Amino acid sequence: MLPEPGVFHFPWEISSGAVQEGATVRTFGRLTCYQPADSQAVLSSQHASTQHQVKVQTAFVEPFHPILGAQYIVLGELESTERDGVMVRARVLNCVDGVDLASLQRAINEQRRYFHGREGGADIQQPPL
Amino acid sequence: MCAWDSVCKSVRYKCCKVRRGLPGRGGMEEGEPPSLLWGLDPIFSAYARLYVKDILQIKESCQVPGIYFYKLHPIFKVDVLGTVVYKREREDFFCYGVDDSTGVINCLCWKDEQWKDHSEPVNGSKALVTNHGGFNPAEQLKKLLQAQHSSSHVEIGDTLRVRGPVKTSRGQREIMASKYYKVTDSVLAVQISWMLEVPQLYCRFYDKPFPLTNSVHGSTVTDADGASAHTSLLGRASCLLKDFLREKAIERFRPYDLREQLVPLVSCLSQKSSTQQEPAESQSSLKQLHNLFCETLQLLQDEGLVFRKVISPDQVYQVTENDKQLHRVTKDVIREDSKREKYAEKGCHVLHILSCVRQRYSPNVSKTVMEVVLKSLECNSDIISITDSHFTVL
Repeated sequence: MLPEPGVFHFPWEISSGAVQEGATVRTFGRLTCYQPADSQAVLSSQHASTQHQVKVQTAFVEPFHPILGAQYIVLGELESTERDGVMVRARVLNCVDGVDLASLQRAINEQRRYFHGREGGADIQQPPL
Repeated sequence: MCAWDSVCKSVRYKCCKVRRGLPGRGGMEEGEPPSLLWGLDPIFSAYARLYVKDILQIKESCQVPGIYFYKLHPIFKVDVLGTVVYKREREDFFCYGVDDSTGVINCLCWKDEQWKDHSEPVNGSKALVTNHGGFNPAEQLKKLLQAQHSSSHVEIGDTLRVRGPVKTSRGQREIMASKYYKVTDSVLAVQISWMLEVPQLYCRFYDKPFPLTNSVHGSTVTDADGASAHTSLLGRASCLLKDFLREKAIERFRPYDLREQLVPLVSCLSQKSSTQQEPAESQSSLKQLHNLFCETLQLLQDEGLVFRKVISPDQVYQVTENDKQLHRVTKDVIREDSKREKYAEKGCHVLHILSCVRQRYSPNVSKTVMEVVLKSLECNSDIISITDSHFTVL
């Protein structure tokens, strides 16, 4: 069985709780903390002058070579536990240090705009029978 | 006997299945363009960069299995870039689940036979040639093969690009990779440019209907061709007659005098005119010639270029341009009536001229014939037009 597609979400959408629990997400952030004992990492990012943090459960992607301060991209399922709150159970965790975050955000927005436009009315454009 | 029966049944069943898969008119009802036109759509022969979500949803053609339709565009092969999120190894191939953030699709990637075959000889020759130093072809070949191997060796989390035809097996969509390679995309540059490019491709090409498919849709190609061929034949025939009438300055004619002019257009007659013909064949060719001539004559009549002064069993046609008497009568009518107070200022209306000409010359002159005459008189500066439909003389 194939897993669900990892839809791009901005870290601030995840930390604000806008994304449903159980959803498969793909997001990014700077690795600011890694605790091998708990298999937990934190990706943080800046948006609108606030710091946003996304907790990542890394058990599935270990062992990996953590570079603190580098940009990472994570793909996994969103889980919520009482002890740790919302966290992403990573299936993929890639170091993408040097990524052009502005371009990435633009690309994500372009893709969303396209799908929004299509589902919002362009689908009516059926062939004349 | 029983076994033979079952074989027959299974063969019959297979035939039914095959027939259902053959190209036919069945698909037309579903809104699919006919398979004959698919090749005209450039997307058909390109690797379509569709979102995985769309590849999973596009409808398979009912005319030819293995072809899919995205908004009436026939899709055969696709080009996909995504993250590998699933991997399973088989004896001959790998099965990778590729996730492009809109969907996950299975990609069947064949193992490289070349790598298996060449790995050992290269290793064996290594010992022999390392001593020479300098450029070492065997060493370079080994490096090349290693690079090839590493780009086809994919793990979960890697970025993979896959091109190939879409296939549906056991109800599941998958891509039969004809080409695939691992993309080294450490700063996501490739993925970002892909994500920016694909919506553009959709807006500019995939979401737009292919114009040709729409215009021809619904009418069969042979019908359209036949109709246009006939129209062009009629056009050529009428041009031929017009030229002939003008060149010879013919004033009146009987149909059988002119019919021969069209012989070169009826191919059978012209090719075999010298040789002996089959009576039946020549009959049909003559009939064809007759029909063509009648249609052409009707066309010339509709345009007002020829008309019949007297309707009688003896068919005589007047040629409007060369009918000097008609020209003289028309000119006289205008000259005389322009002097009358009623028409002095504005000139004579075309319908007034027409009714006078009908009384004096022939009741069969039509309005289009009248217009042709007036136009010709005006060209010769015999009359002048005051408005679109009013004429006078100086």
